[in-house]
Amino acid sequence: MMTSFLTRLALVLLSLWSPLSLAADEFATDLQPAFEVHCIKCHGKGDKVRGKVNLLTLKSGDDLLAQPELIEKLLTVLKDREMPPEDEPPLPEPQRTEMIERLQTMLRQVVATQPFKSTPIRRMNRFQYNNAVVDLLELDRPIFRLNERLMRRRDDYFRPETRTMPEQVKVSCRPLSKDIDNQRPEGFRGVTSFPQDQRAEHGFDNRADHLTLSPLLMESFLKLSQTIAESPDLNPEEVRSWKWLFATPDQTKDDDTDAAHAEAIESRLKRLLRRAFRRPVDPETLERFTKFANDQLTSGASFEQTIRTVIAVVLGMPDFLYFYETPNRQDDQAPGRQRVDDFELASRLSQFFWSSIPDDELLDLAEAGKLSDQETLSAEIDRMLNDRRSSRFCDNFPGQWLQLDRLITSVPDPEKFPKFYHGDGYRASMHMMAEPLLLFETIYIEDRSIMELLDPRFAWRSGMLRAIYAGNFKAKHNVQVQIFKREPLTDPRQCGVMTTAAVMTMTATPTRTQPITRGAWVNTVIFNDPPEPPPADVPPLPEADHEELAKLTIRERLNAHRTREDCAGCHKKIDPLGFALENYGPTGFWRDKYENERDVDVSGVLFDHDEFQTIVEFKQLILKERRRFFRGFIAHLLSYALGRELGTADSPALDHMTAQAMAGQDHLRAVLKRVAMSEPFLHKSTRAPEGSTSGEN
Amino acid sequence: MNDSNAPRSSVSRRSFLRCAGGAVLSLPWLESFATAKSDLEPKAPAQRLAFFYLPNGITRRGFFPGELDRPLPKFAGQNNVWRFEGTTVPPGTHPLTLTPTLAPLEKMRDRISLITGLDRTFQHGTDSHAQCASCYLTSVAPYEVEGSAYPLARTLDHIAADFIGQSTPYSTLELSCNDHKDNIESIYFDNMSWYGTGHVAPSMRDPRTIYDRLFGTQAHTRSRNITDLALSNAQRLQKRLGNHDRQKFNEYFDSVRTIEKRMDRIDRLKSELAAANIERPAEHLPRNEYIQLMGDLLVTSLQVGLTNVGTLMVGPERWTTATTWEGILDKPYSHHAMTHSIAKYLEQLLILDRFHVSVFARLIQRMDSIEESNGTTLLDNTIFTMGAGMGDGMTHQYNDLPLVVAGGGGGKLKLGSHIHCKIGTPLANLWLTQLHALGIERKVYADSNGTIGEILG
Repeated sequence: MMTSFLTRLALVLLSLWSPLSLAADEFATDLQPAFEVHCIKCHGKGDKVRGKVNLLTLKSGDDLLAQPELIEKLLTVLKDREMPPEDEPPLPEPQRTEMIERLQTMLRQVVATQPFKSTPIRRMNRFQYNNAVVDLLELDRPIFRLNERLMRRRDDYFRPETRTMPEQVKVSCRPLSKDIDNQRPEGFRGVTSFPQDQRAEHGFDNRADHLTLSPLLMESFLKLSQTIAESPDLNPEEVRSWKWLFATPDQTKDDDTDAAHAEAIESRLKRLLRRAFRRPVDPETLERFTKFANDQLTSGASFEQTIRTVIAVVLGMPDFLYFYETPNRQDDQAPGRQRVDDFELASRLSQFFWSSIPDDELLDLAEAGKLSDQETLSAEIDRMLNDRRSSRFCDNFPGQWLQLDRLITSVPDPEKFPKFYHGDGYRASMHMMAEPLLLFETIYIEDRSIMELLDPRFAWRSGMLRAIYAGNFKAKHNVQVQIFKREPLTDPRQCGVMTTAAVMTMTATPTRTQPITRGAWVNTVIFNDPPEPPPADVPPLPEADHEELAKLTIRERLNAHRTREDCAGCHKKIDPLGFALENYGPTGFWRDKYENERDVDVSGVLFDHDEFQTIVEFKQLILKERRRFFRGFIAHLLSYALGRELGTADSPALDHMTAQAMAGQDHLRAVLKRVAMSEPFLHKSTRAPEGSTSGEN
Repeated sequence: MNDSNAPRSSVSRRSFLRCAGGAVLSLPWLESFATAKSDLEPKAPAQRLAFFYLPNGITRRGFFPGELDRPLPKFAGQNNVWRFEGTTVPPGTHPLTLTPTLAPLEKMRDRISLITGLDRTFQHGTDSHAQCASCYLTSVAPYEVEGSAYPLARTLDHIAADFIGQSTPYSTLELSCNDHKDNIESIYFDNMSWYGTGHVAPSMRDPRTIYDRLFGTQAHTRSRNITDLALSNAQRLQKRLGNHDRQKFNEYFDSVRTIEKRMDRIDRLKSELAAANIERPAEHLPRNEYIQLMGDLLVTSLQVGLTNVGTLMVGPERWTTATTWEGILDKPYSHHAMTHSIAKYLEQLLILDRFHVSVFARLIQRMDSIEESNGTTLLDNTIFTMGAGMGDGMTHQYNDLPLVVAGGGGGKLKLGSHIHCKIGTPLANLWLTQLHALGIERKVYADSNGTIGEILG
């Protein structure tokens, strides 16, 4: 132990003057011998290259430094104790710790000079577009119906500044309930929307590489901007900006009307364009727009009509439709990395927290060059999180993170689950949907630990949901009006997003549970470790006649997958997570026995080393493994915040943020703030990403 | 390509066309622009290219001649490249056998060729359903595009439209009969038409929206306001971007310019469109009428000269949620789920496949009844291909794909037989052949290693 400490000290000292060559030495003394003893048997020796990882080809530290992805992979399997596998001689703990530290140092060194993956220029998605128009024109409701919002707040309860959620809230679920509740039609009259954007695989619907423009979509945008500008709902009652934007300028007696109008046009456009384009408008552009507006006036259009026409035009401008960043003139310190400028920072913040454009305060600070100042930035983040516009973050992130839109199309077998269906096609899932979303909102509004996403001491319940969990569907319930009450939670079997009826239902088929689908969901969502798709030649499940099959449990039926050696690797990771949830039936209610009277067996081994017998034990183990959840959750947030896939260069920041969360700074707003002040968030890449597309025309 | 040099689409009409869903198309006979201009000799009608895509593969035993008595294939996992050899005849040209699934094509048997034995190569790393649709028409070989998990670049429809689609208001038309309300799959499952890598030409799904867009009479003049300002702003913006972003941002210029051109061309077609007295589709149609109407919208667009190139997916790939098959099947099922339990759903799958083929048959019959300016029919001037990106929905195989080519290709195609290709013939060979039939010279296309000369007249 002492020697190892001294070696480490020596290495640290050495590293101060020659980091790269040192890494090579470390490789020879610490890593290579360990690889030889514990790894290469399966990863390189005699043509055996498991999981495409070959450690035999690594001849020096430089070989390893050249493959940051490999370093990251090694770190993951070492930290998660995935390797060496249980049937191999164990790696002594101190050696594991030491290897992790070596590798971490190497990774930090190598990625310190690496550019972050860049977020390409991209058009707004539909959700952002709506919010941007609402904020630009100062409206109080969406301009078109947004199915992106899975839950509607029917009380004015979203008040993050108070840091308290009421004990009771009223919500509804529009995508599932159609126009049942006599609310006025959502959106502005006459406004036609464009289709909802699809989610990226293992990503969010704001992923830049998925957001492209086509003539078809551009046409929709043009039509959309016109219908917005012409909507009769754009009137003094609905529009808070009416006075400074639309209203005909007051006239003093001696004034020349034309001159007064021209003057008003210029000053109003300056303000409008800065907000729409998220940066000060250059004089020439201002002049072109002013001229355009004055031409309208001259040709006889009224002042209000002129402003409407200008708005229709502004909403079609690329400067409005696109989020983008530009390379700084002078090079910054690290090659390939540049600080985002203050206006870009304002846009990143508003996209992250408000799914929208920055407000005037952010732009003022950016214009004064103050936004990137640490204290100011921190205060601004607090302000943004306290602002009610942050409801859009709660509308957008948690639903996609948890993949809750899958619940919209869950249709349990009506014969087996008659109580799932209510009159007029209403389904119990309308109520299920709200539960995890309300939990997330509560944690956000009350700034609670993100651990409570998995292990809260309270739950949101409507009468119907309570009955669902109790397995008692008999009571008559009001399906349309959803009144949720917050209840203290006593039963550890019913807490946290993982076992909500919503997640349990959407991961089941109409007739049965799917442990592998559930396991993949837990891996993807909770640990941010989506399983690889199955290999090319998965053997069919063994054929058995119906009578024989009926006697088996699902675990017995799926065992085939796990006996084959090359399937076992992945399924060992996926399956225990799914089988652990087998006590929750296809609509989420508790069961101890299957239909065929066999007992439900949830036991398993988590992460290859922790045995559990019951779901309660399983949840305990998951909490013990909170580091994995923290890192996974923070990575989800960072990817959402940046609208891109994460890369190796983001790793040190993720590690750092995870460590801080582990050290107790795990409250949601603290985590959000840290993401927004992290290196990847404050920097942009100045290099073209690898693998630039060819053949594009 | 310069507009004035491009072959002008000929726009001759037929009086009354009965459309699915009861819509009546009433098109008075009008002189085409070309003839109206002066010459007594009408110009040759434009060449058209269209695709009818079958999602989730095909049920082999109903489709392929000689496979009726074969055992049902077994599930073999996604991303499969299992070889289920469909060979029942030696490579070469054979008389056309119409299997139960192909039976609806009986009346048109002289105008079609069945082509079997064509393969695509699966690029590992993406879902097999996503790749089979999105890369069906791709112009690149697997692994050719660096940094993309999909071997995907500008697709055949756009490459053809670069030549034959430059004078129509829409250079291509993309339709998909996807009426799912959820959002569970990515764009790769529902789009076979791509401008380039990662740049989707999004498909339209709702017949009403399509109708309003194509045949609506709303003025486009208001959009003209915007384009000048938009383009000058875009130029200023582009100058400030990094190189890679500059490339991507071209999509904005392309879109705005396309719309500008389109407005001009639609203005020129105005009288034709006004005369195309098509009923606005009902808000909801049963599945069978929905698919037929989508086909009719495609054919009518080809007919009146709105476009010369179109793709129609009769459904999206995978999309595990159930579809209501009103007018086709008795109960809601997921097509994808059925293909995974072929033994249980064989009957339904065969009905569904046959229905899809019957829609295709009806469309080519209709095209054959539409007379063009020089006495030929719309079908004579079209290459219309029905096919799937998987040889079987159960096996997920990328080999031995089901393909039927119909039409005359402006006199270039010679059809009426069954051509079985030797093992390992890339699907791209068929696409290259079609490009040649359209007069587009190219030595290779994607991973092609030749052409299918048997279908060229």
